[in-house]
Amino acid sequence: MPEVKTRDFFPASRVSILDPQLRLALSRVGSGFDSARRERIEEVSPEVWEEWREEARSIKVHTLDNLDYYLELLHDNVTKAGGHVHFAKDAAEANAIVAHIAEANQVRIVTKGKSMVSEELALNDVLEDMGVEVYETDLGEYIIQLAKETPSHLVAPALHKSKDQVAQLLSDHLGVPYTDDIETMARIAREALRDKFLSADMGISGANFLVAETGTLVIITNEGNGRLCTSAPRIHVGITGMEKVIPSLQDLAVFLRLLPRSATGQRLTSYVTMVTGPRRTLDEDGPEQFHLVIVDNGRSKMLADPQLREALYCIRCGACLNICPVYQKVGGHAYGWVYPGPIGAIVSPMLVGLKQAKDLPQASSLCGACREVCPVKINLPRMLLQLRQKLAESPEPEEKAATFSHKMLAKAYAALMGHPKLLSLSRKLGRIAQKPMQSNGRIGQIGRSSLPGISGWTRSRDLPSLPVKSFHQIWQQGLRQPPNTPAGQSRDTGN
Amino acid sequence: MTATPGTPKDVFLASVRRSLGRSAGTPSSPYPALLQDLSQLHAQETETRTRNKANLPQLLYQLAEAAGLSGWNVHRAVNPENAISYITELATERGVEQIVRSEQPVFTQIPLDAALKDAGIVSVTVATDDSNSREALRTAIIGSGMGITGADYAVAETGSVVILPRQGLSRLVSVVPPIHVAIVTAQDLVATLDDVFLLRRLDYHRNGGEMGSYLNFITGPSRTADIEQTLVVGVHGPKEVHMVLLG
Repeated sequence: MPEVKTRDFFPASRVSILDPQLRLALSRVGSGFDSARRERIEEVSPEVWEEWREEARSIKVHTLDNLDYYLELLHDNVTKAGGHVHFAKDAAEANAIVAHIAEANQVRIVTKGKSMVSEELALNDVLEDMGVEVYETDLGEYIIQLAKETPSHLVAPALHKSKDQVAQLLSDHLGVPYTDDIETMARIAREALRDKFLSADMGISGANFLVAETGTLVIITNEGNGRLCTSAPRIHVGITGMEKVIPSLQDLAVFLRLLPRSATGQRLTSYVTMVTGPRRTLDEDGPEQFHLVIVDNGRSKMLADPQLREALYCIRCGACLNICPVYQKVGGHAYGWVYPGPIGAIVSPMLVGLKQAKDLPQASSLCGACREVCPVKINLPRMLLQLRQKLAESPEPEEKAATFSHKMLAKAYAALMGHPKLLSLSRKLGRIAQKPMQSNGRIGQIGRSSLPGISGWTRSRDLPSLPVKSFHQIWQQGLRQPPNTPAGQSRDTGN
Repeated sequence: MTATPGTPKDVFLASVRRSLGRSAGTPSSPYPALLQDLSQLHAQETETRTRNKANLPQLLYQLAEAAGLSGWNVHRAVNPENAISYITELATERGVEQIVRSEQPVFTQIPLDAALKDAGIVSVTVATDDSNSREALRTAIIGSGMGITGADYAVAETGSVVILPRQGLSRLVSVVPPIHVAIVTAQDLVATLDDVFLLRRLDYHRNGGEMGSYLNFITGPSRTADIEQTLVVGVHGPKEVHMVLLG
């Protein structure tokens, strides 16, 4: 597995928030992907969109509830088409399977299409340690491979890079003259990778869907690299999580309608590629061997938990990242592992361990936008809350998310809210106590230092100060007046 | 006594069953699509084909519109001669010296080779009889400025051309050359994605569980927005795609 940095969520997000270039890059996910997504929904009508979501969700519910059956059906049909199916319980097993295939076939060069699961396995490192040359061929993945980084978004892995940074990388690694013209850079990548596609011994792809009925692997792409990886080399290895299976070919239609629209706002991606076994005898080209590696790597833990099973319905469109106020500020790398954003905040703790990633379920304001945009209607806020609950109730000290002072504050808050007289008294005292820290109606700092005890909050934002009159008082004095009296007159809350 | 370890598959599936708290067997509720037999699929096919035939003019219009939106250059050819001159002129204008085309029935209806030859353009056909020519074929494809194919289906809903690579139809002809021309006839036309999958399922079951090794939906040119979300057309696949629509 790649290095797990989920423990550093808070310090990493502080660094990210202060990075102006990252902020500019992140501003594009809302204006680009998300606004295009909205346009597509308006185009088909929100009612039709809702029907599609319901249909897709019900397919996922049924498949995951009977996952063993569909995996077996998939296995039988891939085998019947002449392919090989491998089952891997964890990253080590999956990597060993691919390494073995590479070794047995004297593979020297591998071209890869985009695969988040292979990021999860850190497969490139394993192959490179064997002396195999590995080339990421999706433009975004190629860029971050050159930069020796990890993806920061499910769909646009190099989202965090500016064109100047990409220009510098291409110039440093390929010895081409520096240019920050985006079209020219894409052409440079095309030329650099063209020979690799044609000389590769093995192509590796992920899978967006696996069709049990026919034993078919489906990938949804735009650049054409996925088609080349699955056509040109003599071996094709597909690697994917076990949750990607769907029962029938017929089920694909609704997912092809939902996924591109949710991911990039396209009606359909440039390519949908469907692979069923290796090249047949009379085919003009295509790989001689087809291997499908189906990976668990912690997914059965999610499957076993009825509260968290629906995280496995995810089709990795990234819509929840694009809408998330937290992701939009901290970016993908702060999440510290392969899957960022709201879905990452659920999946990562389940795959790397709750105690390693206990801060991730806190990385949400629970605003619910992720749930609204999810094409398979995953209730992300509910799961985030359930993970928080698990952490709060955990007997393991290392998993406990709440500190002693957090708990005391929560208890004090509960006591105050339960006793109106105490609340009113403390409000009076508070109004006096806040005076030295107040400016423009906000509570910020005393002099230049943060407030003791709540500096975690006030370091980067101010608290609203207590108003001159509480809502309770306004209610009693003002709003109860007859409707013809302008209530606004008594709504002056001071400052 | 130790438990029999079983194959990796058995171990894996047993672990999935444990997670689900269920024992081996059919799904908890039946899945209607998987229970359809050949005659039901066939009836659905007849109904679909009849419906699409009745809507043909409208579907052609819808296909052209959706294809245009997705980046195809759509040319509605009035007759085969017009299709031939469009393709030949395009190749000439782009300075293409060699084209590669698949071996498909549509090229009997639209005999391109003579016109291309007259224009001084070399035409390579994907060989169907020479089993030693795989390398030669690949070299020819790489050396071609244009790849020309027919379509197995054209989807009005999405503006997609669907290609099923097989004998005479290379996977690479429509992805390696910088220009792809797809010739679509009225009989390739289907209304929706559902129609394509229905027809594929029918073929699959009719052929005893064989649906061919590969299938591609092509919807516009190759594209990326991986650098600063700026759209660039033509990364690893063709930069320019033309749909010649006959019918």
